[in-house]
Amino acid sequence: MDSNSKDDHANTGLMLDIINVKKAFGELKVLKGIDLQVQRGQIVSIIGSSGSGKSTLLRSINHLETIDDGEIWLDGVRVNQPGMKGLAFENHINSVRQNMGMVFQQFNLFPHLSTMDNVRLAPMKLKGIGKSEATEFCMELLEKVGLEAKADTYPSHLSGGQKQRVAIARALAMQPKVMLFDEATSALDPELVEEVNLVMKQLASEHMTMLIVTHEMNFASEVSDHVLFMDQGVVCEQGPPEQLFSNPKEERTREFLKKHLQQQ
Amino acid sequence: MNFDFTPVFENYETLLTGAGYTILIAVLSGILSLVGGLAVALTTLYGNKAFSYPLRFFIWLFMGTPLLLQLYLLFFGLGQIGILIPAMLTGILGLGIHYMAYNADIFRATIESIEKGQNEAARSLGFGRMQTLWFFIVPQAVNRALPQLGNNMIIMLKDTSVLSVIGVAELVLNAQFEIANTFRPFEFYISVAVIYYILNLIMETSLNRFEKKLEGRR
Amino acid sequence: MDFALMWEITPLLLKAAWITVTISVLGFILGLLVATILVMMRASAFRLIRWPARIYVSVIRGTPFFVQLLIFYYGGSAFGINLDAYTAGVLALGLNIGAYMSEAIRGSLLAVDNGQNEASRSLGFSRTQTMISIILPQAAGLMIRSLGVLAVILIKGSSLVSIISVVELTYQSQRIISSTYKPFEVFAVSAGLYLILIYGVISFVDWLYNRYTRYLSH
Repeated sequence: MDSNSKDDHANTGLMLDIINVKKAFGELKVLKGIDLQVQRGQIVSIIGSSGSGKSTLLRSINHLETIDDGEIWLDGVRVNQPGMKGLAFENHINSVRQNMGMVFQQFNLFPHLSTMDNVRLAPMKLKGIGKSEATEFCMELLEKVGLEAKADTYPSHLSGGQKQRVAIARALAMQPKVMLFDEATSALDPELVEEVNLVMKQLASEHMTMLIVTHEMNFASEVSDHVLFMDQGVVCEQGPPEQLFSNPKEERTREFLKKHLQQQ
Repeated sequence: MNFDFTPVFENYETLLTGAGYTILIAVLSGILSLVGGLAVALTTLYGNKAFSYPLRFFIWLFMGTPLLLQLYLLFFGLGQIGILIPAMLTGILGLGIHYMAYNADIFRATIESIEKGQNEAARSLGFGRMQTLWFFIVPQAVNRALPQLGNNMIIMLKDTSVLSVIGVAELVLNAQFEIANTFRPFEFYISVAVIYYILNLIMETSLNRFEKKLEGRR
Repeated sequence: MDFALMWEITPLLLKAAWITVTISVLGFILGLLVATILVMMRASAFRLIRWPARIYVSVIRGTPFFVQLLIFYYGGSAFGINLDAYTAGVLALGLNIGAYMSEAIRGSLLAVDNGQNEASRSLGFSRTQTMISIILPQAAGLMIRSLGVLAVILIKGSSLVSIISVVELTYQSQRIISSTYKPFEVFAVSAGLYLILIYGVISFVDWLYNRYTRYLSH
């Protein structure tokens, strides 16, 4: 594995290239050699039961978890850099992360900042964009998620669905190359799920590259170009949604879908 | 720089005797502060106004002034009103009463927090007021207060050292006797600190174990 | 009660109370400095930097302040250092309370949900930026509270510097008691001054905390 140079990956056209990624928490092997390729503009969903490693994979891409082995490439730039240490890696990962938008299950809005400040903090401080310009385009983002009226509201006064829409706008404000959704609607009351799904569908229609970890099969089949089923740390089966959902090849996939489609 | 720990080793028995008294004082003051603290808390919550208001004032006063000042009051005050007792007893009383105020404050807060839900439940079953208090509220309150009470006892163990000021022959004063003979303050005080550190460590670990045991039962 | 005496000694005790105030304020500032260094050391990636800070905190918390003060004041001669009482008092107070403050600050920072850290880092903010813009503002409320509690402990603890002859409130009280044999009168005045100081600080901290949380919750 000597493909550390950018050039190797610059011409693959892949937005995300994940090669043989392994990760263990102590004795527990959570990722046992994951491979995944995401094309520019592609929308990929990852399904699987809890403990299958799907969230860990997504968090590893953002380097919120440090992987033990393998490679993660974002648009020709290697995310994990085993040789790099200390401040050099800190600077590297900060700049890489600016190209990825991450949306969390628990929203993680900054409670001490207004909606507008949540969204414009990163572009102002990290990209040095002036306040008036940042305010202007962040307002457009808030319009996009339907919350321009809430610009001066603080997170404690927002519903769960509104919080998650702000979190999406916050991630979009850095104009990321790829959006990572980690169970974005799992913490929401059922009646609030749809408003977040709508925003995600709109992003999909604009050809944003998206990697979505979800437990909502209907949404995954509707929005994705490609679906992965993960089980016990490996990609058990993958393919276009029509095929994976209506005609799964693997027994484990069938069992999983049977259980989860009944529930919905 | 010139260190010589031989005087410490030659006189280690004085230090050990002092440490023994330090433990004794901590145990007796601790019991006084816990039993008294519970009694004070119950009186301030349920007692006659003639007792509860003065006791509230006592908690407020003793939590708002330093231990050493209270020790001086007791030391000189007892003599003033004609009560002559050994310094050791004055020290145990002073330390016990000081921490009684702190413990009472903790008991009061935990009893109040337990009472809200439990009172109605027990009373609706037909238990009387005092029965409810003794069988339901106090045991739970004590249980919930234990971590904070344990923390107070750890602080109190260290505060026994202050009693040397009023002539209680515990660890520090015994060390000072030897310092007067040997002129080795640094060596003796360092040794005293080491002994306190060990006592403190033993107390912290045993309290932690005790709490874990209780948690298992909950 | 000898009210004439109480009136007579009030100016003396007021002057001494001012020393209690200055020694506490200086000790608090030094403590904050020490705590900041300790917190940064304990967040370091290197064990060789983390461990000395951990040991320092453990030793300070595991031994009585009273003994630390004695080591500082009388032990200095073993190193050829002779500090004046006031300086030794301030240094000992600050070095002691700094260890406790570092735990309080760390606790407040760790109490902020880790999701806040992750959200900030995932946007590309550095560790330092995350600390300043995201974590600290959310931890500040709890920090105000726990540092306030320590400020009160510091004021009460400052009474112990009387034993190295710093003429603060407790020292002056003790001296007047031994010359007048009127412990109750003297206690009444100096306790009153301590109560004003301590409950003044408590009220100020509550006010600051409420203002800050109101500002945060909008």
